Amino acid sequence: MASQLRVMMLTWEFPPRIIGGISPHVYYLSKNLAKEGVKVYVVTCDFPGAPDHEVIDGVEVFRIDSYKNPSPDFASWVYLMNMNMQKEAAAIVKNLGGVDIFHAHDWLVANAGIGLKHVFRRPLLVTIHSTEIGRRNGLHSDYERMIHETEAWLTYEAWRVICCSNYMVSHVKWAFNLPEDKLVMIPNGVDAREYEKSTVDLNQFRRRFALPEEKIVLYVGRLVYEKGIQVLINAIPKILEKVNAKFVIVGNGYMKEPLWEKIKHMGLAHKVLFTGFVDDETLRNLQKCADVSVVPSLFEPFGIVALEAMAAKSPVVVSDTGGLSEIVEHDLTGVKVYPDNPESLAWGVTRVLLDEAYANKLRENAYRLVVEKYNWKKISRQTKSVYERVLSEYSRTFWA
Amino acid sequence: MRVVIFSWEYPPRIVGKLASYVKELTWQLAKTGIETFLVTYHEYLTGEFENGGVKVYRVTNPVKTHISVLTWVLTLNQEVERVAANIYYKSGKRIDLIDVQDWHFIPAAVTLKKAFDISFVYSVESLEDHRSHGANSPFNMAIKSIEWLGTYEADAVVVKSNWMANEVIRAYKVPEAKVKIVNLETNHWLESILKVYRELKGGCCGYG
Repeated sequence: MASQLRVMMLTWEFPPRIIGGISPHVYYLSKNLAKEGVKVYVVTCDFPGAPDHEVIDGVEVFRIDSYKNPSPDFASWVYLMNMNMQKEAAAIVKNLGGVDIFHAHDWLVANAGIGLKHVFRRPLLVTIHSTEIGRRNGLHSDYERMIHETEAWLTYEAWRVICCSNYMVSHVKWAFNLPEDKLVMIPNGVDAREYEKSTVDLNQFRRRFALPEEKIVLYVGRLVYEKGIQVLINAIPKILEKVNAKFVIVGNGYMKEPLWEKIKHMGLAHKVLFTGFVDDETLRNLQKCADVSVVPSLFEPFGIVALEAMAAKSPVVVSDTGGLSEIVEHDLTGVKVYPDNPESLAWGVTRVLLDEAYANKLRENAYRLVVEKYNWKKISRQTKSVYERVLSEYSRTFWA
Repeated sequence: MRVVIFSWEYPPRIVGKLASYVKELTWQLAKTGIETFLVTYHEYLTGEFENGGVKVYRVTNPVKTHISVLTWVLTLNQEVERVAANIYYKSGKRIDLIDVQDWHFIPAAVTLKKAFDISFVYSVESLEDHRSHGANSPFNMAIKSIEWLGTYEADAVVVKSNWMANEVIRAYKVPEAKVKIVNLETNHWLESILKVYRELKGGCCGYG
């Protein structure tokens, strides 16, 4: 092993290409690993305007040709993109004179990670951010089974499987029949300092979204069934009975149109604002203005949006499920409510909005939790120690 | 000389006429004293076999459920790479060249070339343009793009007729000098293949 630990991250998204949560995760993890003295090479898909090769915050980024012909379907594209990623990464590794570890993120880079592992005979680690069987609540077609089996193959080939919550550890262990000692829990993180950067006057900013006398109830997430946005909409009348509020909904998804029709039918159009996607700064300012942030998910591997709200010092009301159950301690760092239960959700939201002292206590506790437990410095150190443990195990194998 | 052949069919797995040709080719190569390895697919007869002086490795697909031959091929390539890498590391990190039969294992050959500087020959049995004539769906285009990658990255493209030489040049703009015709109807076909192999081996690696 070279004196400096060299890791090659494989990810289908990295800023400025942002599709979901993997992009910021890999960005913050890589940047903080670099601060811990790890040499990080990120291999990712190309993006219009972004260079093929650059160094960002101490991280060396390579962007590969992501196969831009029309593809039969998303999964076929993923495999074709992997064909390109693998050959380009092989050339990069050769030019670098080798790397110590490959670290793949989700099945979207499974083929490239597995191929590189065998070709260079180096350990492969994977972070499983989400599973097909969880996203779809079961496997209903050959397409979904193919993705599930690809995920299983990736976890089989990996030296260690990292998950971001205890909930995901047990879910992944069940889904792929993995031995206990192959799984590692390292939480996801949030950079609380990002929330101190903006110099916008929040009182002015707030007026773009709500009347001064209205409390802001904020939802951030895709507008899809498993995120439980419909539960929040059903809770609105009960909340409005007790407190005057504006419901600000950030994000897009297939449920947007039907939900908007329903809201108009309920006579609540003046109380709900759909913003669609917003830029990072607007989102952070909204989170800072929110009198309460609601995460009503039905399925949630981790729940990063709850952590972001906590970093913005917004009180959170979350459904007691998945990763959210672990992040929030009821009455201490937030309010937990029954999943898929509008009455319970309305109870949680009004409780926070009607008791300012209680809300302030939640804000303070939650912020401290984020800074102490979910900070990237700590997470990158935990990740680095997994790398070191794997390399020491590797050094005793015939591959070394 | 140490040669590794990739083919998606080899007896007892017979899809078309490629299986019997690959068997003939590998057995003849072994007879001439070339250290010949074959990496191929079988659903369940996996492992290492000695067959007519040829070291045969059969791999299966780690992903059983698929939606098309394209996705099936693309998850099988990593197994081909794994076995080829094992051959490479076990034999003192030396493979003189890879001969990939048809398009299926081109991705593996390209990755191994990038990683270890191993030259490869792309032996064309048929082209997607002929198998699915005029079809230009994303599925056909994907297979064509893999065939193109083969012609682009290969050090030589071997075809079995003058007609196919022209077709490969037409379809993928391959430089003429890169296309080698091996006419299987003649009795010196093996010698023609060996000539291609020797030229590449001399050209790329410089030993013996």
